[in-house]
Amino acid sequence: MRNRLLYWALLAPTALFALAMTVLPLVYSLRASLQEFRLGRPPAFVGLQNFQALLHDSSFHSSLGTTLIYTIFATGIEFLLGLGLALLLKEEFPFLKVIRSSLIIPMVIAPIVVGIIWRLLYSADVGLLSFAVQALTGKSFSVLSDTALALPALILVDIWEWTPFMFLILLAGIQSLPQEPFEAARVDGASPWNIFVNLTLPMLRPVIAVAVLIRALDAFTVFDQVFVLTQGGPGTATEVATLMIYKTAFRFSQFGYGAAMAVAVLVLVACFSAAVTRAFKGSV
Amino acid sequence: MIRRQFLKSSLGVTAAVAASSCGSQDRRVKLTIGADADPAVDILKDDFLPLFEKDTGIRAEWVEADYSGWLQKALNDGETKAGAFDIYVMDDLWVPQFAGSGYLANLDELGFQVDGDFVPSALDLGYWPPKIGLRQPGIDIRAKPVLYSLPLISDVQLLFYRRDIYTAGAPETWNDVLRMARQKSDPSKRRYGWVTRGVKGNPIMNSFFVLLHDFGGDVFGEHWKVVCNSPQAVEALEFYLSLLAYEPQGVAEFDSDQEGETLLQGNAFAATMWTGWCHQINDPAKSRVVGEIDFAVPPKKVNRVAKLGLFMAGIAASAPHKPEAMEFLRWVSRPDIQIRYARAGGMPYKLSAFKDEEARARFPYLGAALEALTVGVASPRISDWSKVEDILGTELNKALLEKGNAKQHLDAATAEATAFLKNAGYYAE
Repeated sequence: MRNRLLYWALLAPTALFALAMTVLPLVYSLRASLQEFRLGRPPAFVGLQNFQALLHDSSFHSSLGTTLIYTIFATGIEFLLGLGLALLLKEEFPFLKVIRSSLIIPMVIAPIVVGIIWRLLYSADVGLLSFAVQALTGKSFSVLSDTALALPALILVDIWEWTPFMFLILLAGIQSLPQEPFEAARVDGASPWNIFVNLTLPMLRPVIAVAVLIRALDAFTVFDQVFVLTQGGPGTATEVATLMIYKTAFRFSQFGYGAAMAVAVLVLVACFSAAVTRAFKGSV
Repeated sequence: MIRRQFLKSSLGVTAAVAASSCGSQDRRVKLTIGADADPAVDILKDDFLPLFEKDTGIRAEWVEADYSGWLQKALNDGETKAGAFDIYVMDDLWVPQFAGSGYLANLDELGFQVDGDFVPSALDLGYWPPKIGLRQPGIDIRAKPVLYSLPLISDVQLLFYRRDIYTAGAPETWNDVLRMARQKSDPSKRRYGWVTRGVKGNPIMNSFFVLLHDFGGDVFGEHWKVVCNSPQAVEALEFYLSLLAYEPQGVAEFDSDQEGETLLQGNAFAATMWTGWCHQINDPAKSRVVGEIDFAVPPKKVNRVAKLGLFMAGIAASAPHKPEAMEFLRWVSRPDIQIRYARAGGMPYKLSAFKDEEARARFPYLGAALEALTVGVASPRISDWSKVEDILGTELNKALLEKGNAKQHLDAATAEATAFLKNAGYYAE
């Protein structure tokens, strides 16, 4: 009995801290999402009205679509590049450590700084990119004010920053694979492609699942780069869900509606995580 | 006798120590002022805050963040009544939100006496409900306006123009601007007749707002009817788009920093910009056009107006040091401080400071700024303005990207803003 009490007593501070830091804000957000909560007016309970409004909010649907495109392309390309780099750099060769170290530099820069760096590169008047294009073609070039190019430009920033993350995780995964099956396959005369498809990829499944899941969740909640580079523009071309939530809550002071958006995104992200976990069941 | 003397002197010393400790305790408080990190506040922060500390013995800490970050912090402090700040330095369009939500202390109740030396249009922005104009739903039409904040920096949009290009003086009309842009622009040499802010939302709206009102248009008509697709508004937007041919490539991604830089580097002949830029124009470290820029009220079409965008200061309802905060507001509003502030290059809010000969000789833009403040128009005084501004600003940005379709985009903005306001209860069923 005394041991049991001691057990709970020791656990209590951590449990209370976790409760205060994670569960309470979540409960507060849920409560706010059920309220008409605007500055200047007392909050009023409105039930599911905010969620009903979300169902008809074409701007929110559009922002979710943009976020999805961003997530799919950013994560997909980062995975392919990361895997390629990991396969390329798994063997020992001169300057390998220098190359590996320099590859992870983008990842350790704060996202807001990354945004500023790329804003300068993309800038229509003083940007390196527009200068290069103008020098080569004689035509002026403005990436961030082009509705067709702004989103790919943002995806490129994400790829630049986060491909090293994929690379590091996949490299660690590849290096931890047992060597015997590969040696046996080589003895049996399997081609490198066959070895990659039939051995490396299946054995890497758990690592791939974790890497893709982490990156996809992160990309789905992208904010900093979009905020610094485009503010959701031009027009609504880069208006991602998190930016819309932020603007709704903190610029337009519609805290209740913003909270409902946040809860909706949370549910979508949870469903996505569950789907990925189920798809890789047994691997993760 | 000796004992009595000792007791008397001991009592005297004790009383003196108690009194002095009470006094110094009061002075030992630290006033916390939160603000947006904007170059317009630099003179006040760097030169006048130390002066306030020296004059009053009150220590003051200036806490800043970027515009959005500061708004978020201030809203959070106001909502939770945390008391982290004594004074909120606000964009004037925050006043309806902050005062309407009870985040600000009533300055009338705290005993602030308004004098006749305030620039009237600047002072009016500190009242809630607004002294003039429409009132948002839920606000009694008979409710007496209460003073919740004071102007701190009189920011207003002026026409900045190159005197070597406009040799005959400031352009009187918008057609003069267009004509000069046509005549003298040369994009191959990076010489542009005009530069504007094009980023969606607040930046492009701030640029278009002046044109909209100058052309006789407005955002709202009677009973909050959205009228930003009126013929006057369409004409204003078409004119705004006609200037695009004489502007740098990519203005759709220009915010005020790029707009200002274009002017400072000598690449543009004119722009409507905030007075916060006046000081930088003549700073050789930042500008290539020192002494070449003049200032005026924006040109005329039907009306002649300027956009107000003042920095306001309000005492937080949860401020831990309200008396000291009030002392700061009284101190900074003193005519002698305002004159010193104007002479140091700041933008005052007292008429006497604007009219000070020495300040005007040093900073000629003060005359234009006072004139602009007199004809100034502020953002509509509703707590939902930011949303309406975002809707309009997004459609304006789209029109700018398409270099046309003014009517189509203003119709779309009107429909969306109307639907939003209807949902927010602005229209009686």
